[in-house]
Amino acid sequence: MSFNNTMYETLPVCEILINDQFITRSNLDEINDFSQRSELSFIKIALTFGYISRKNYERSLINAGYTFADTTVRDEAFDEAVLNKLDLKYVCNFFALPLRIENNQVVTLMADPTDQEFINFVRETYKMEPRIILASDLDICWLSHKLLGENYVKSAVFALRQSDPANSASTTFTTQQLVFLFAGFALTVFFLFYNFIPVSIVLNVVVSSFFLISIVFKLFLALLGSRFEMHQAVTREEVRNVVDDDLPIYTIQLPVYKEDKLIKKLIWNLQSLDYPREKLDIKLLIEEDDSKTLNAVKDLNFPAIFDVVIVPFHMPKTKPKACNYGLYFSRGKYLTIYDAEDIPDTDQLKKVITLFEKLPAHYICIQCALNYFNRNENFLTRMFTLEYSYWFDYMLPGLDTLDIPIPLGGTSNHFKLDKLIELGGWDPFNVTEDADLGLRAYSKGYKVSIVNSTTYEEANNEPFNWIRQRSRWIKGYMQTYLVHMRNPIKLIKKVGIKGFLGFNFFIGATPLTFLIYPVLLFIFFTYVVFDFSFISAIFPNWVLFISIFNLLIGNVLMVYINMMAVFKRRFYELILFSLANPVYWILHSISAYKGLYQLIVNPFFWEKTNHGLSKTSQTNANPTTTL
Amino acid sequence: MKKNDLTYLIFLSVILAVYYLVLGLNIHSKGYYNHESLFYIEKARIVFQGMGNRLKVIGLTAPILPFYGIMPFIFNYSLAPYIASAIGTAVLFLIIGICTLKTTKDPFYMLVLLALFIFHPGIIYMAGCGKSIYIIIIFFFLFFYNTFRFYYSNTTFHISISSILLVALVFCDYRFIWMTLFFVPLVISISLQSLNLAEKQSIFRLFLSFNNPSLRRKLVNKTFAVYIIIFILPLIAILCYKILNQTHANDFNYFLDNPYATWNVLVNKLESTVTPSTDNYKLPEVSFLTSVRVIIYCPLLVLGGFLLRHNIQHLLTLLIPLALVEFLKIEYPDNFLSQQYYLIFIFMSFMAVLFKSNIVSQSNIYKYAIGACIVVELVTGYSYLNNSFFESEKNFYAIATQPKPDNGLENQSRYDEYIDVAAFINSMPRNSRILVDDANAYPIAAFVKNMQKLTLPYQNIFLSAIENPSTYVDYILVASNSNKVGGYTQLNEKYKAIMQSKNNIMMDRNYESDNWIIYKLREKNPGRN
Repeated sequence: MSFNNTMYETLPVCEILINDQFITRSNLDEINDFSQRSELSFIKIALTFGYISRKNYERSLINAGYTFADTTVRDEAFDEAVLNKLDLKYVCNFFALPLRIENNQVVTLMADPTDQEFINFVRETYKMEPRIILASDLDICWLSHKLLGENYVKSAVFALRQSDPANSASTTFTTQQLVFLFAGFALTVFFLFYNFIPVSIVLNVVVSSFFLISIVFKLFLALLGSRFEMHQAVTREEVRNVVDDDLPIYTIQLPVYKEDKLIKKLIWNLQSLDYPREKLDIKLLIEEDDSKTLNAVKDLNFPAIFDVVIVPFHMPKTKPKACNYGLYFSRGKYLTIYDAEDIPDTDQLKKVITLFEKLPAHYICIQCALNYFNRNENFLTRMFTLEYSYWFDYMLPGLDTLDIPIPLGGTSNHFKLDKLIELGGWDPFNVTEDADLGLRAYSKGYKVSIVNSTTYEEANNEPFNWIRQRSRWIKGYMQTYLVHMRNPIKLIKKVGIKGFLGFNFFIGATPLTFLIYPVLLFIFFTYVVFDFSFISAIFPNWVLFISIFNLLIGNVLMVYINMMAVFKRRFYELILFSLANPVYWILHSISAYKGLYQLIVNPFFWEKTNHGLSKTSQTNANPTTTL
Repeated sequence: MKKNDLTYLIFLSVILAVYYLVLGLNIHSKGYYNHESLFYIEKARIVFQGMGNRLKVIGLTAPILPFYGIMPFIFNYSLAPYIASAIGTAVLFLIIGICTLKTTKDPFYMLVLLALFIFHPGIIYMAGCGKSIYIIIIFFFLFFYNTFRFYYSNTTFHISISSILLVALVFCDYRFIWMTLFFVPLVISISLQSLNLAEKQSIFRLFLSFNNPSLRRKLVNKTFAVYIIIFILPLIAILCYKILNQTHANDFNYFLDNPYATWNVLVNKLESTVTPSTDNYKLPEVSFLTSVRVIIYCPLLVLGGFLLRHNIQHLLTLLIPLALVEFLKIEYPDNFLSQQYYLIFIFMSFMAVLFKSNIVSQSNIYKYAIGACIVVELVTGYSYLNNSFFESEKNFYAIATQPKPDNGLENQSRYDEYIDVAAFINSMPRNSRILVDDANAYPIAAFVKNMQKLTLPYQNIFLSAIENPSTYVDYILVASNSNKVGGYTQLNEKYKAIMQSKNNIMMDRNYESDNWIIYKLREKNPGRN
């Protein structure tokens, strides 16, 4: 539906909204004031900063005699010459998009048909009058990104590969790595044929020792981490002293894919953040083909406080690609990422800013602890909680204390935006882009710190979903390991011997241990049950001694570390579940083999984790409770 | 803690180590020995000089940590335990000193500590005897120190470290595993304290939490969690060690009951068993009286209890070792309590007054009281050591205080006998081999210069050598009928009779002492196959 000029010269949309009492006069003053300071358009502020819901906006305009175009507007014809004169960021600011010239008029999609600034822009740019089609801001946004976002998305995918090819996972195995791997394999097979028993014994001892060293090191880290558990990086007093007016703009990226069920929860969670609303720059990153989520946003019957960014289709379809794309539209000084179901502690952003101010300038990222709100839902969620508690409460602070590169968690890592861009953003070819980024930052001389704030997520409560998610993580660790071990000497020079060992023990050893675990378990049970003589041959008395020691002590220590972590979190009811870790690790092993298979056949495939499966109320998370 | 303070402390520790070394080596040179150190010496020599399957000796010799403790000093086997105990005691001083400096700035505590470490006979005994008391006390002190720190810091770190230290303590002296029993009331108290209740009195808090389902659940969960976090590690470690014993020795309790694995078996038989004769002469250690003995030995404990009286957790913690020794008298009624079970109270009480240093430092009365207690402790320490139920403890005192060793000491003459037998073995021709069962003959094996001469049970050929000795060895060391621990070995007079009657062997008596006989083997009819 198009309008003639007289219609949009009548009553501005803001007045219509006031007349319909969807916004007040003071709201309008606020919006105008904010608009002047931020250069954002009225419609952008009204729809993405929680002043009016899209439903009400639509209702009000329809009452005023306007008619909205339906979703077929996305199929409108367009003219390249018209589009070439446009800047994506500019049109997104107005939720308006000139499409083509028709009858000496510029056919223009607009969410606010009375926006004189954009109408003037069209007149000046094309020297013609606009013919306005009123459309939903989301449809315009979708079409704008689809038609104008190609350069951005290409840059989001290939920027790192072009600027820093050595750190891009676009090549999974380098030739040298393949030669090394196959040569190592061939040599092992050769020696096994040559002299089976001694070589098997040597392999056996190497593997056992590796396991034990790895576990003892983890215990050491856990103890180190637990030592500072009462240390508050940022105190409540410091948070109270933060002056809202001095706070910078904070970008929150929310990459989602088919998370239609979580949109409402997402808004509730974001609204509880203790941060001035107009200083938040929340980007909901929706894939072009994700109509489910887009429709869910469209159907919201209460005001949204986020700006939708549509990520145009481009392979690989990964979260880091979406985040990189979102970077071009981010306005904040700091940036963080949350998943759709995340419930961050309400004071998290203020804590992060306070800590950034306390830390030296080369600290460019702060990682928050992650934990689960649905921990008591079933066995899997309990085990997941145990694992996360140990990882984020002990291991990462332990690594932090030892100044070893920290593999960042998937969400709730807060960056200085300029430094993040300097690093080249996330690697879109890496399926654990967070872990990779942590190491990349470290190798460039930057540091990551930990803050005493927790984000509660939804633990995977369904085994197949869990395996999908875990296989992606483990595949990502393998990718990250392969990328950074292309030149081990260079890596040592960059991160030092301590960082190198830490990297090998955490990123490298994790998939390896999960791959070896079922093999050793099989050998052990075969030995115990069948007592095959050939197994005894490769386990002479002293090797058996070491192996049994490793098996028992290793398992016990890992179980104990998990117990410590939930003890610290006061999740006492989970303590006995730590004993089930050896069973839980079997699931890890299944995921590891799946991840390995995918690494070879489909390295960039993003195994989607389904969220919103939990039946547990998120209010159990007590998000205001910090460590 | 300032860097300078630490430097002075390390310097003092080095001085103490030298003092203990001189003292220990002097007493050793006067002829002081004990079974425990000789056992470790023999096992260490097997590990480094033996031939055959030494894995079992490395892994299953118990208590394992004291055994490993002498390993750094095996450059001189006979002195290794003495060096270990001297340096270990100095390290103990360093550890307690560091803890003291971290807790208080009052120099009074360092003076008290120094006085104890220089003059207390129990500590001097610990440093000079070559036994593993030093390592037991180190882990005992650290365990309780971290438990106290947990009360103040409430961090998982301290409680986990406590748990790990308890594992170490149990692997130094298995009997400390019984301490887990007495932690039950303490853990309930800790949990009770952590509940968010307005009521301050413990008994009313308990009443409230028992009568409220939600609080009750919280109390149970927390109690269980604390108990698990402290004790699961020691309990599982013991379980694992027992499995290791089962897989390698076919006996879950090999490390506890087998004379090849531990010195305790023989020492219990020889030294610490309550016999009717001792009962006639000495005030027995019986339940209830043990606590009185402990308080006389360590009156500072009473002052510590007084200072901690306002905090039920702290008080219960202080009482745990007392409950332990009482329990040990019930669990092992036939055994006396050796020096370490008294010494723990010296350190426990010191810890108690240390944690209340803020009160003590403000009042000179407390300082005088502590000083007086220390003086009493020094006196009772001498008295207890001199009148110890253990020969090795009494002999230490006797040898240390006499200018010349008294050869009439019963226990010492036994060691002379071991030395004599070993000297005879050392004088045998270079390639001769002798069958020895170190279940009871380890004190002899410890003095033998060339371990290659000995055929011992850790070797695979030992069983064959027993069945067919003439093929494998030239001599056999046999326990005589008068040997008190002759029953622990197959190599006794009965064996000799069986061999002579069944096999074609003649056994000629080559050397004989009160308890040992060395036979030379000879075939009856050399021409017969």
